[in-house]
Amino acid sequence: MLEIIRIHNELLGTYGDRGNADVLKYRASLRKIAARVTDISYLDAIPKTGDIYLLGGAEDAAQILSLTALRKGSILARAANKGAVVLAICAGFQILGSKYVTRDAEITGLGLLDVVTRPGDRRLVGDIAVSTELFDFPLTGFENHSGVTTLGADAKPFGRVIQGNGNGIAGVDGAIDKSVFGTYLHGPVLARNPEFADLLLERAVGAPISAVDDELATRYATWRRALIK
Amino acid sequence: MVSLRLRFAILVAKSASAASRLIGNKGETLPGRILLAIEPEAISLLSQNKEVILISGTNGKTSTTRAVASLISQLGPVATSGSGSNLSWGAANALMSPAPYAVLEIDELHLPGIIAQTNPTLVLLLNLTRDQLHRMHEVKRVADRWHVECAEASETVFVADIDDPFINYAIANAQNVVRVSFGGRPHADGAVCPRCGSYLTWVRGNYSCTCGLSNSESDLKFKRGSAAYRNALLANVVGEIVGAEPVEFSESQLERTVTKQFGEITAHFRLTKNPASWTEALQGDLYSAVILVLNARQVDGIDTSWLWDLSFKALKGHTVIVCGERALDMAYRIHVEGIDAVVTESFDEALSHVQAVDVTVLSAYTAFFELVM
Repeated sequence: MLEIIRIHNELLGTYGDRGNADVLKYRASLRKIAARVTDISYLDAIPKTGDIYLLGGAEDAAQILSLTALRKGSILARAANKGAVVLAICAGFQILGSKYVTRDAEITGLGLLDVVTRPGDRRLVGDIAVSTELFDFPLTGFENHSGVTTLGADAKPFGRVIQGNGNGIAGVDGAIDKSVFGTYLHGPVLARNPEFADLLLERAVGAPISAVDDELATRYATWRRALIK
Repeated sequence: MVSLRLRFAILVAKSASAASRLIGNKGETLPGRILLAIEPEAISLLSQNKEVILISGTNGKTSTTRAVASLISQLGPVATSGSGSNLSWGAANALMSPAPYAVLEIDELHLPGIIAQTNPTLVLLLNLTRDQLHRMHEVKRVADRWHVECAEASETVFVADIDDPFINYAIANAQNVVRVSFGGRPHADGAVCPRCGSYLTWVRGNYSCTCGLSNSESDLKFKRGSAAYRNALLANVVGEIVGAEPVEFSESQLERTVTKQFGEITAHFRLTKNPASWTEALQGDLYSAVILVLNARQVDGIDTSWLWDLSFKALKGHTVIVCGERALDMAYRIHVEGIDAVVTESFDEALSHVQAVDVTVLSAYTAFFELVM
């Protein structure tokens, strides 16, 4: 059973990222791969046995609460070290970094990605498209944040920004380290880009998965890519 | 004494309104804009001799404003804003009327400014949930602004539905408040205390926080019910404070529902513009054929991610047809939940797929106005 862990959706669910779990489960089911989505609330312990961990975007106070809870036992870092897939969007991505700075405080992150986020001077809102080394076509999404994320020496960007802002600096979006992915793409990103969902499933399963023809998914993704400016 | 400049501004604005109507516009935005361009203080000046009542919140503004205006009309002529014309120029336009009462629907982000300018008798705060996040950014950001302005407005009575923690926080430092509770209800965006940032404790729709924010102590308590029911009661609470006799409203009067005939087919439209209004609509009665219309223009919210926060299970077993500029976003969203829709290019094409006599149409904001107004 493929265990998909949706972390703190009541806190990290402001921008619809809960859909990433639904798309993963759906696309697993197309391959007859049994998958289960488990919602873990702020009050629950994070399971150690997840195959895929998902974090989403949040408002500021919720982000701090979530990070505080995730520090206990460093479950995410341990799971990632053992090869679990982690996909973190926006505030979730900032939480995975080494540090993020608010207007009032400097907060130590979980340290899964070597990035630091500082408050920017404007809100970055709108359609975003990035090219990555993972695919030979761009990924699309929607961004809505005011953080500026700087990559450390050990970090690789998730993608190069074609449209929009991403990290808000250096023309890149997100960060990637083995199977830990951080990005600013909402949408949800896996609904907009089913190929990315399949890549995460493959990493989690540890073997190639069969191709599927989900015409509507392809049509939707292709249409959004055709609109990139 | 009305200043010469204000009188001139009103004159120009009113002729613009007449001209605008001649060419077929509803004529609510342009005159207000002209008025404010010539006399930036117009809203404040025109409010001086009026009893002003403001209504704001994410959902239910237009229908509740209509209900309050009809109640207050027992007392005298009422100036009120037209459907959805809720930014400052809409308010300015309505305030040009000589009526002694003004009942105005105000956009959430414009509310603090309008409170400061009109020094209202009463402000009714309905609810705050996620909506147009490309513009609002965060629910908390809107609540913070309200919180500051409500504390400033020392002469205003606030009627507040405190089952919504954001509303309770908004009026926390206001001086004259009537706190209303309907026995609590869940809030999809209410996990964190808007006052102190702690994790709120929720028990069967009632919340409490270690900082003291809670809906347990209200001035008026009613039983639970639909959004339309709550808004009807809140309108009557406002009416009673101002001196109007209570009126019984039907639920349909307080829902954004409109019935329109298309040949043989009767279409029952309902406005669905954000997660809370969708959830409310999907809990209601649906005909066997359902058309979903999704757009993503500015007032609809240009991001469609929030569709994934809704459960569309209620549509299972129905014939579902989608249209609108973002029909594919909707179609794929419900596809993943196991509901396959007919994807169409236009509302007319969507209707052509309806085999039944009645169809439910759940419609985005801009489409709602284009199709039924």
